[in-house]
Amino acid sequence: MKNVSAEKKYMPEMPQKEIEELNSSVKATSAKIIADNIARMKKTDPNRPEGMKYFDEISNFFGQRPKEIQDAKIKGKKVIGYFCVFAPVELILAADAIPVRVNSGWYDTSKLGDRIVPVEVCPVIRSTIGAKMIGLSPYLELSDAVISTLTCDGMTKLSEILSDSKTIWTMTPPRVKDSPQSLQLWKEEIKTVKTQLEKITGNKITAKKLKEAIETMQKASKAFRRLQELRKGNTVLMGRDAMLVNQAALWDDIKRWTEKTEALCDELEMRIKDKAWACPPDTPRVIVTGTPMFWPDNWKLPTLIEEATPQGVLVGDEMCSSDRILYDPVGIDEWTMDDMINGIAERYLMASTCPCFTSKDGNEDRVNWLINKVKENKAQGVIYYVVRGCILYAMEYTRVKKALDKLGIPVYYLDTDYTREDVGQMKTRVEAFLEMLTARVDI
Amino acid sequence: MAITAGIDMGIQTVKVVILKDGAVVGRAKASSGFEPAKAAEQAFAEALQISKSSKEEVTQILATGSGMETAPYANGNVSMMGADAKAGVFLFPSARTIVDIGAEEARAVKCDERGIMQDFVVNERCAAGAGTFIEAMARALEVKLEDMGPLSLKAERASPINASCVIFGESDVVSLIHRQESKPEIARAVFDAMADRISSMVHRLGINLDVVVVGGVAKDVGFVDSLKRKLGIKILVPEYPEYVGALGAALTAASRVKVGQQ
Repeated sequence: MKNVSAEKKYMPEMPQKEIEELNSSVKATSAKIIADNIARMKKTDPNRPEGMKYFDEISNFFGQRPKEIQDAKIKGKKVIGYFCVFAPVELILAADAIPVRVNSGWYDTSKLGDRIVPVEVCPVIRSTIGAKMIGLSPYLELSDAVISTLTCDGMTKLSEILSDSKTIWTMTPPRVKDSPQSLQLWKEEIKTVKTQLEKITGNKITAKKLKEAIETMQKASKAFRRLQELRKGNTVLMGRDAMLVNQAALWDDIKRWTEKTEALCDELEMRIKDKAWACPPDTPRVIVTGTPMFWPDNWKLPTLIEEATPQGVLVGDEMCSSDRILYDPVGIDEWTMDDMINGIAERYLMASTCPCFTSKDGNEDRVNWLINKVKENKAQGVIYYVVRGCILYAMEYTRVKKALDKLGIPVYYLDTDYTREDVGQMKTRVEAFLEMLTARVDI
Repeated sequence: MAITAGIDMGIQTVKVVILKDGAVVGRAKASSGFEPAKAAEQAFAEALQISKSSKEEVTQILATGSGMETAPYANGNVSMMGADAKAGVFLFPSARTIVDIGAEEARAVKCDERGIMQDFVVNERCAAGAGTFIEAMARALEVKLEDMGPLSLKAERASPINASCVIFGESDVVSLIHRQESKPEIARAVFDAMADRISSMVHRLGINLDVVVVGGVAKDVGFVDSLKRKLGIKILVPEYPEYVGALGAALTAASRVKVGQQ
């Protein structure tokens, strides 16, 4: 039996030398891109808040944070990776394990993924496969198990492919959010993960520990929301900077992240008092919705928006890789184990606006979330961002556009791939869109 | 009033328009080649000469087109979509949708009565919906590019071909040749396939009358005929469709001068 399970179903046998060569060349490119992205963010806002320094450092995928996790592992801690924001982080923390999101944002590894799956497949998936092939992602490599929520076809097969070399725990989300059996199924999935966590860590998830973990995450949500609140007025923090802070929550120690985010917010509040804006207050305000974008390579669109002529500013987004990450805290009435599990199940299912769902009203939650964001953050336009092969987001575009048309909010559909080659074409489109937003205001 | 100019740095051709008191007084074009900036200087000098004005008299010069960053003399840029909207409504005040088909890109722009764009779509990074497609097919048919349109109008029926890609399109054309279809019918098939792609692009934007077709491909009677049939509406084509981008840039320059004076 053992031999059968050791046989690789998808992953190719690659010579160790090739793996090492690819790993070191992609890693070198990536280190350059990380440095370049940060340098450009500093250039866009020369008076960038001091508090961003911490997030710049923690965003180095080959720096301090992976080392910390490595050290914790040596001391016996388990690391639990996850792909979608459906993973119940509270349970991971309660089992005294380290949660970390492991989706790949590397452009170069998507080409490696092409060796296993066709190019029509979403590049987030192809790139994650490629990253595994050459052991590029420190977080994926450090994970003792990876929670994979089967949200889309790509994610479903990705779990299968990665199970060649990783322990994968799948979670099946129901496709219909508001049916009576859906929550029941999801609750069972949550309970299964709880059991698996207890088994792998050897730590029992007690009511006391779970309460502590929920409270930790509630505090993180509070800081997260505070930052979003500060982006509603004149821009005090550029969109890329905010996006980096948001994403850092996916790999940083969450308690430390909360402290640092609160400190950044304190600094931003001072700046609001001093009217020290990050860009002129009449800069066109843009919101992005669609496929998640991952650090470090896939920083393409926000960079184009904020470096464009005329310049735009990303004032918010509707993405599971940014403004949605910690937006919703777990709500608890009574701190019994059953109530806490219910609260977690509801938070991860009902609050999600993932296009994998449908309901009597279709995915109305997403449309409402986006419209709310557009209104509250006073956005003048929306860029609907989709990578090739991301069918669910691509298909929902027409509905979202109709809803935004009603509000008189222009929306532009921008499709791209994990490549640097189309930056010129994307720039033309983004600049035309920003020019349009400016012209609408001017006259 | 001032003299302004627009330079459209297209992929294949550079176009220059000189505008004086709201009227075009000079236009010239040159092949972009390997040194598009030089081509632009040349076209600019020619247009100036036609307009009987000197470079010093031109108060504002705006560039547009995919190579706008490399334009000489320019004081600034305007997007291709913004320029199309401006010039489209200038030429036809009733225009609300401008379809621009160049050598390698096609786009459709929705605009209001002031010529301000409200929305736009761009073809999906594939030359099959643009002028290069006709060129490649003309080559396969051994027909001169300018003869493709008149030839297609002689067709009695159409044969379907694949226009999802220039390469596949070409192999479809070759198989039509092997089936001994007549040249007019194949030429029409090429335009129909292209018009199919352009019409779905326009439908994505929503059809707002009147529709104006501009860009180099608008000069092709065969394509315009196919597009009319596909969309089932009247289509307006200006006299010099390939200069619309440059005209839009010159018009935008003029309104920027006006705003500056106020």
